[in-house]
Amino acid sequence: MSVLKDGLLAFCEWCNASFFGHAIRDSVWAFPFVEIFHLLALAILGGSMLVLNMRLVGIGFRTDSVSILARELRPWIVGSILVMLLSGFLLFSTEAVKMYGNWAFQAKMSFLFLAILYTFTIHSRVTHREDSSPAVRWSTAIISLLLWTGVGLGGRALGYVTTAAASVTP
Amino acid sequence: MGFDHFLQWLSETSFSATMRESVWAEPLVETVHVLTLTLFLGFVLFLDLRLLDVMLRHKRVSEMFAQFNPWLFGGFAVMIVTGLLLFSADPANFYSTLFFKIKMIMLVLAALNVVVFNATLGRRIDEWDTAPRTPWKVKLAGAISLVLWVCIVAAGRGIAYALPPP
Repeated sequence: MSVLKDGLLAFCEWCNASFFGHAIRDSVWAFPFVEIFHLLALAILGGSMLVLNMRLVGIGFRTDSVSILARELRPWIVGSILVMLLSGFLLFSTEAVKMYGNWAFQAKMSFLFLAILYTFTIHSRVTHREDSSPAVRWSTAIISLLLWTGVGLGGRALGYVTTAAASVTP
Repeated sequence: MGFDHFLQWLSETSFSATMRESVWAEPLVETVHVLTLTLFLGFVLFLDLRLLDVMLRHKRVSEMFAQFNPWLFGGFAVMIVTGLLLFSADPANFYSTLFFKIKMIMLVLAALNVVVFNATLGRRIDEWDTAPRTPWKVKLAGAISLVLWVCIVAAGRGIAYALPPP
């Protein structure tokens, strides 16, 4: 376990010291510029998930079958996740070592791992077929919503946790 | 002068004081504002991309409006209320930033775009609703909206960096 921890910490230190970590940290506008992409991808990813899950449980978009919507939205979901991962990684690299010890960041990454795993396994299965029972549809949609909301809340919280820690340390 | 008075009045309201003094009010409201981006901005972008023939092309545009609009209006209401609350925490300083003014002007332009669209192209939607490709004017309206909303997000982020530190 400590090998893994050491490895993660070394990775965070490498990110901190990397040229992009440096470049974004040293620039006044690079950080907010990357944040804009993170937010736009959030809108596309969250919007796609809302549409798909609402259709899955039948509270909207009922003129299309679930599987047609799932197929149409898939490239947008995959694309926005990639943009979020890349932009998120760049934001992370500016204070990677600080994030390593941030509980909100750890929670966000745990939720993110589960959300991505879930989206491309169970969620993908259920949304690409038409014969699931209402109970399966509802539980699939709710779990998806909870996991992604966890990622979002973790993301909001990590900013405040950093601020709190920074104001305590002299 | 009148507007300065309004900003002054706003900063003296009880909800303004709560936003400033409560530990949880500002993070909570900001979190709702950001997470509602998925509902509001996400759906706006979907409609724009549909007008541009990029997304969900199998759906008629009128069907897109019918299905997305109720959620969109709900999301917009949340964005306005939470946005106003965030603004009310420190009206004079928000207003003093260039990004805030840019954001407000862009919001008005985005609204104007919707009004003009509804009064012109939207009225004749039957003529192009089932067309294999949307007319160029419709694409233009979608492109204008898309650019404006990207700028609104950018300006919104800019405000946070331009505000004087608390």
